[in-house]
Amino acid sequence: MTEHNQRRYSDISGRAILYALLGIMALYYLLPLALMIVTSFRSMDEIRMGQLIDWPTQLSLDAWRIAWDQAQIGARSEKGLRPYFINSLLMTLPAVAISTMIGAINGYVLSFWRFKGSNLFFGLLLFGCFIPFQAILLPHATVLGKMGISGSIVGLVFTHVIYGVAFTTLFFRNYYVTIPGELVKAAQLDGAGFWRIFFRIMLPLSTPILTVCVIWQFTQVWNDFLFGVTFSDPSSQPITVGLNNLVNSSTGERRYNVDMAGAIIAALPTLLVYVIAGKYFVRGLTAGSVKG
Amino acid sequence: MASLNIENVEKSFDQTHILKGINMDIRDGEFIILVGPSGCGKSTLMNCIAGLEDVTSGSISIANQDITSVLPKNRDIAMVFQSYALYPNMNVRKNISFGLEIRKLPKDVIANEVDRVAKLLQIEHLLDRKPGQLSGGQRQRVAMGRALARQPKIYLFDEPLSNLDAKLRVEMRTEIKKLHQRLGTTIVYVTHDQIEAMTLADRIAVMKDGHIQQFGSPQEVYDNPANRFVAGFMGSPSMNFIEVLVVQKQDRACIELAIDGITHYLPTPDQEQRVRQMVGQTVILGIRPEQITHVIPHYDDNPGIARVDATVEVIEPTGADTLVLVRMNGQEVNCRVDPYEARQPGQVMTLMLNMGKAVFFDVDSGERI
Repeated sequence: MTEHNQRRYSDISGRAILYALLGIMALYYLLPLALMIVTSFRSMDEIRMGQLIDWPTQLSLDAWRIAWDQAQIGARSEKGLRPYFINSLLMTLPAVAISTMIGAINGYVLSFWRFKGSNLFFGLLLFGCFIPFQAILLPHATVLGKMGISGSIVGLVFTHVIYGVAFTTLFFRNYYVTIPGELVKAAQLDGAGFWRIFFRIMLPLSTPILTVCVIWQFTQVWNDFLFGVTFSDPSSQPITVGLNNLVNSSTGERRYNVDMAGAIIAALPTLLVYVIAGKYFVRGLTAGSVKG
Repeated sequence: MASLNIENVEKSFDQTHILKGINMDIRDGEFIILVGPSGCGKSTLMNCIAGLEDVTSGSISIANQDITSVLPKNRDIAMVFQSYALYPNMNVRKNISFGLEIRKLPKDVIANEVDRVAKLLQIEHLLDRKPGQLSGGQRQRVAMGRALARQPKIYLFDEPLSNLDAKLRVEMRTEIKKLHQRLGTTIVYVTHDQIEAMTLADRIAVMKDGHIQQFGSPQEVYDNPANRFVAGFMGSPSMNFIEVLVVQKQDRACIELAIDGITHYLPTPDQEQRVRQMVGQTVILGIRPEQITHVIPHYDDNPGIARVDATVEVIEPTGADTLVLVRMNGQEVNCRVDPYEARQPGQVMTLMLNMGKAVFFDVDSGERI
């Protein structure tokens, strides 16, 4: 065998090990999800009679139906996870939109319109990223009470905006400092003002960071349990709380298939956001603004 | 088109003083170059003129109107940036028309203006492309196009050629000069490249440490530098500085120059009056490399010409000339000689010094004597 061939084979075997490793990792992460999906399509009889882990003998959507709008959760008149799901949507969409927008404006100001003490301001804002949320539950409850929005969806939106802005500002500020300040100067000389520069030049350049920010915020807000369980009342509970109640409030036997279907329903929107927006994740739209 | 007057402009950021009292009177249609090493304040001065930064004190007026506290957009100034600063999300047409749209010009006027500028800069075929799809030179043209579109009173160029490769830079330099001759608009142009400064300027302002060291025509700055810094900054290779003693020889003030162990006495030029009163003192002799050449016989009769023999240490051929390094008074001296007359390192070569163009500086302050 020539030396050339030897190198070729060692390349190939290296690659094979790499792929095997990646495959194992992927399997490790996907297995629980696969198990959830499989179980959610089995009927309770099957689970009771056979193994806990097994293929479904027939595709049954009963568990999904029950989890969505038939299960009695707590003492509510409305059944299933549907009302919780709607609450979560009503909470997440505005919270994501508002916190992303404020973050973008903050980042824009902190990058291009520095003022005296703006670095200190940014530093203090970053505290918001590191504060353990458990620490602020009590004072924040007081604030919500004083504002008269405790236990409402508005209150939850407010809470998530407040604690999301630290992250979104960080995202946008770190993105905008990579954009040359000369762009803003050029626009100023062209006669554009603060808002026009923001909307006509900065925002169109922000697609990559907007995507990152939206995915991050959506996941954070949608998956949040702590704020959801603390600052809501039964009419405004989000899906995470609903899922918890669904799993915990069943009397008698544990309906694994319904629990699994409910868990998938709760996770579906975040998955969807990743699938739709993921491809914009790493697009560099600023290419060409400067040299290069 | 307008004149530009800068009076006592100072600028400081907290404790750091960037501009320490700048005064400039720029006439209508002049091409002014601000040149200096990085950190000398030239870009800050540019930003102050544009209004992108406020001056700490002093005033700026355009066409005799004080604009010190006028917003940048109302100063009627256009600027070309070092990084071009094209809007990456807009195509070339949009880039050029953006400023016009903000000023709410009618659509057909804008279209005409874009066409005019595109034709002027030969970028018509690029109008529908995004900046990312253009080469460096094309982006540079578009950036100039954006500045030209408004027909402002004053153009500011902030190191516009420094991101281009050497060949393109020379081409664009000529283009800019042609453009200025055609438009006749006042231009203030910042660069750290002294060749760009020499070739383009009507007048050059050499800056250092927030002060203007000298403000004059290129030839004036080159031949008659105000101090050692200006002398060393302008010209490549840079002027030779040799510490010499002034002595009296046969009723004439001469300088003492030891080369290869032989002491030569060279006459001081007639126009340098003050150095003649400094007999017995040490001064800095400034002499440009092209004033030390191979022997050109018919120059022998010129006053101030002297022949000296020197051992060649290093040679650097540039094609047109060869730079020869010799030692005078123990200090390295560059000479510019004909490539065919240059000797090899270690050999002795006869050189011709033209003291007629020599200048003298104070040893301590570096000021011209």
